[in-house]
Amino acid sequence: MNKVLLLAKSNLRKNRGTSVGLFLLMMIATCLVGISLLIFFDCYPTAQKAAERLKGGDGFILIRDDLEGFTDEKIEELIGKDTDQYYVYRNLNYPTLSLPFGDGEVGISLNLTDSSAFTREMNFFEIVKEDTSITENYVYLPYQFNTSGGYEIGDIYEFENAGKKYSYKVRGFNDVVYGGGNNTGRYEFVLDDASYKKVWDEEHETGECIVIIYDLKDGVESGAFRIRISNEMLKVNPNTVMDGSPLDVVISNRTFIGLIVAVSILVLTSLIVIAVAMMLANCISNYVNENMKTLGALKAIGYTGKDIKLSLIVWFLALAVIASITGIILSYVFMPIFAGIMIGQMGLSYNISFNLMATLIPIAFVIVFALIVTVLSARKIGKIHPIVALKEGVESHNFKKNHVALDKTSLNPTMSLAMKTFFGNMKQNVITFFVVGFMVFACIIALLMFENFSRNPKVEILTTELCAGVVASDLESKDEIRDYLESRKDVENVREIINLSLYYNEEESLFTYIVKDPSKMRNSSICYKGRLPEYDNEVVISGSFAKKYGYDIGDEIKLDYGDNSFNYLITGLIQTTNNAGREALLTYKAADHLLDIDQIPGWFWFDIANESSDNDANIEETEKILEECKDKYGAHVINTMDFFKIIGGSMTTFKSISAMMLIVMIVVSVVVIGLILFLLIKSLIYHKRKDYGIYKALGYTSGSLMLQTALSFMPPVIVSIIVFSIGSYFSANPYMSTFMHAFGLMKCSFDIPVAGVVLIGIGLAIVSFVLALLQTRRIKKIEAYNMLVAE
Amino acid sequence: MKNIIETKKLCKTFSNGGIQQHVLKNIDLEIYEGDFTIIMGASGAGKSTLLYSLSGMDKPTLGSVSFDGTEITKMNTDELALFRRSNCGFVFQQVYLVDSMSVLDNLMAAGLLVYRDKKMLVKKAGELLKAVSIEEPLWNKFPTQISGGEAQRVGIARALINEPKLVFADEPTGALNSQTGKAVLDTLTKFNEKGQSIVMVTHDITSARRGNRILYVKDGEIAGECNLGKYVTGDKERHQKLNDFLAKMGW
Repeated sequence: MNKVLLLAKSNLRKNRGTSVGLFLLMMIATCLVGISLLIFFDCYPTAQKAAERLKGGDGFILIRDDLEGFTDEKIEELIGKDTDQYYVYRNLNYPTLSLPFGDGEVGISLNLTDSSAFTREMNFFEIVKEDTSITENYVYLPYQFNTSGGYEIGDIYEFENAGKKYSYKVRGFNDVVYGGGNNTGRYEFVLDDASYKKVWDEEHETGECIVIIYDLKDGVESGAFRIRISNEMLKVNPNTVMDGSPLDVVISNRTFIGLIVAVSILVLTSLIVIAVAMMLANCISNYVNENMKTLGALKAIGYTGKDIKLSLIVWFLALAVIASITGIILSYVFMPIFAGIMIGQMGLSYNISFNLMATLIPIAFVIVFALIVTVLSARKIGKIHPIVALKEGVESHNFKKNHVALDKTSLNPTMSLAMKTFFGNMKQNVITFFVVGFMVFACIIALLMFENFSRNPKVEILTTELCAGVVASDLESKDEIRDYLESRKDVENVREIINLSLYYNEEESLFTYIVKDPSKMRNSSICYKGRLPEYDNEVVISGSFAKKYGYDIGDEIKLDYGDNSFNYLITGLIQTTNNAGREALLTYKAADHLLDIDQIPGWFWFDIANESSDNDANIEETEKILEECKDKYGAHVINTMDFFKIIGGSMTTFKSISAMMLIVMIVVSVVVIGLILFLLIKSLIYHKRKDYGIYKALGYTSGSLMLQTALSFMPPVIVSIIVFSIGSYFSANPYMSTFMHAFGLMKCSFDIPVAGVVLIGIGLAIVSFVLALLQTRRIKKIEAYNMLVAE
Repeated sequence: MKNIIETKKLCKTFSNGGIQQHVLKNIDLEIYEGDFTIIMGASGAGKSTLLYSLSGMDKPTLGSVSFDGTEITKMNTDELALFRRSNCGFVFQQVYLVDSMSVLDNLMAAGLLVYRDKKMLVKKAGELLKAVSIEEPLWNKFPTQISGGEAQRVGIARALINEPKLVFADEPTGALNSQTGKAVLDTLTKFNEKGQSIVMVTHDITSARRGNRILYVKDGEIAGECNLGKYVTGDKERHQKLNDFLAKMGW
């Protein structure tokens, strides 16, 4: 073994540059795998642990609008038998509110509460940070307002409801299970006791709600429990509205972006891993060719092929072990950046802790991977005959074709010699082609995310239907307000859409869009398969729900609301990232089988006639319409929403993530391309060092040799960029659909800006050329005289 | 006679592990136009170092080298490369053709550095290859597909493609058998007779006979010089003169 170690040490010393290049590639790969696994293993459990710590139970139920009949005894009767424990509290609820957040607003359900929130037995609040010197008229906001919303302690937070303004000083931020993240559709604010009492006194008659946090007994199924409670509550008081969510839905809504990031990084890493494999195999092949005489001499003095192979394995394994350990340490170093994304989206404080699986898997993966590639690539060493090797006869020259004959080409000398080098190094071309191509693909995926989540947000990801604004009216003025909106010249396409929860098979709730006329819907890509419903027996359901229960177009599905049930024909599948992918859509006529639609307030969704690309102008225009409507109908308008504002707020967390992903992918791509070019060019120059010496003796300058060498790498770079750009342009959406399935998006139709693709292509080509040119600097060190006399 | 190269106090010192080795010591020398100058000496005397210092391939430690009136010792690496293009041709012992290029391309790669007219260059390369007895079927072969003698003659053609003022040859027959070596020497002699100036390093008397001026290098200095006059095949008196000179030098 000593002799093998001696050889391995000698290899490492002699091939320092190659070792450093491979070390860095393996380190980057391990670091990225480590980060993605840390997110993967930590994201969901962090939210789960927080729910456990803050005693979130198995879910919550919110009862609002009409609370008559819901005494403590009645609640015990309804809840008690299926739960180990439950906790009931009352506070104020605003079911639909536009709250300032980040760059805009979020459309959300808001609960206001007092300091008792910190001492509740279940779903209590935990302060993340605070300033106790603020003693009056203050508010504790969910932590997400600090991490993504841009608010700091001491800021004034203002919002409006039904024309009434609320203004508080931010005293601190808190963690809370329910009511802490915009993706869950709910926030809960803690006011100082005096402020809360004032609001309570003024608004409890209309806004009081009951919140029940429950912990189910073993064996009680969450969906069935919620359906039973919903039905029984309607029996207690038919005018009441039940809201709330099971814990798993809340956690999934709070963590899905983190998981998207983890999957994206993992995919990028897999491309880097392929690049590392190609380079590792290439390095071993180069090692054999470059050290043919040494290998011959070693065999001649008695080393076996096995000894030499073992020394290579020791060399590359040593590199893999050190690189993977360094990489995993770096993943913990960089994790706070990614943790910031998770915190921003989850709205929960997150402490990075050691995760055994996320640490061991990347290390084991890189080591095993390096071992397999080394063993496979080093096989030819065994076949080398010492005498042949000593004569360097293994690498025989077999020139079948004189590419770019200098007497015939119309290219100038630099270009023609560059082309000769290009044609003479097909292995290098193949590696360059695929590595650059993989990086192009990764960058285009990042560009797609940036374009659709940040620069020009694709709101369809977040909501089933789009509009400029929404006006909700009471029953009394429903027709009048509809007529008013339709009569306005600045308003277009007024449509009636109501949201409520229907139930499936006493197991699952389905967040349902009840649409008067589906043909008026603006989100044309919502139905990715089949068609929207037209008749009173038709429904469309979300693809992930259909997949879970084995439904397809043409099947019948029984939906329930209260005591009513109806069998609907599935005419299409829709896609959604909301509500854990459990959504449905049907017409007013179809909903009439389950409930009296005329007894539900009017929700009017509308577009503006002069919608422009300027979001601020759209916000202003929509605000004007909503204000005028409120002025005209006063309290008959029970709610309004400016969608353009909400887009800004809701997309805040997506924006920062997608921008960071783009930066990370571009940086990683440049580094990987740089490292691969370093290894390839280093090897090329080593192989051609004698030729460079001859060229220099003939009168070629270092500059012209550097230029022709760098240019020889450009054909595979340019062809790769063109091929992979076109390929990525067409395959990015199917690819995204594959891994977005888990998040509810079944058939992605994200925009890919051609200008951005071209820009990435040109950018990577220029960067590749500059990096190649920088790597060729070592040609300067080749002196004709030294090279020739050394031979 | 016009000189092409003039050196003044040319010194070359190599350092290795703190030990200095003075390979060339204060050499004052002139190389004349049209001459076939031979540099002889024992192994390690500094012959090749002198040759490469004269050609600008290597930089002297001290002193100066002027080529056709221009001091090349002041030039940087790239300036020297540009200088070599049109002024110097090289013939090496190991030939040093570019293996990945055909015979014709090896000439073209050198010629394109000076000439832009590709048609003229192809014609010229063809003429030169014919002149060194490399016939057309071999032009598209690769260096590894032709014999050592043929490769060396291609090397000579390449050295001449840009009509250099001076051809430097470093033991061009050192790796060849006597028959192919003679063919190479005949080629060089033929071009010298046409007026091509040549400086050749050799330790082979047969090769040295081709020169008209013999410089003997000993311990880094020009120990002696012998003028043989024009080469004539089988001139015994000339041969004897060279033998006597070399004997005097301690050969």
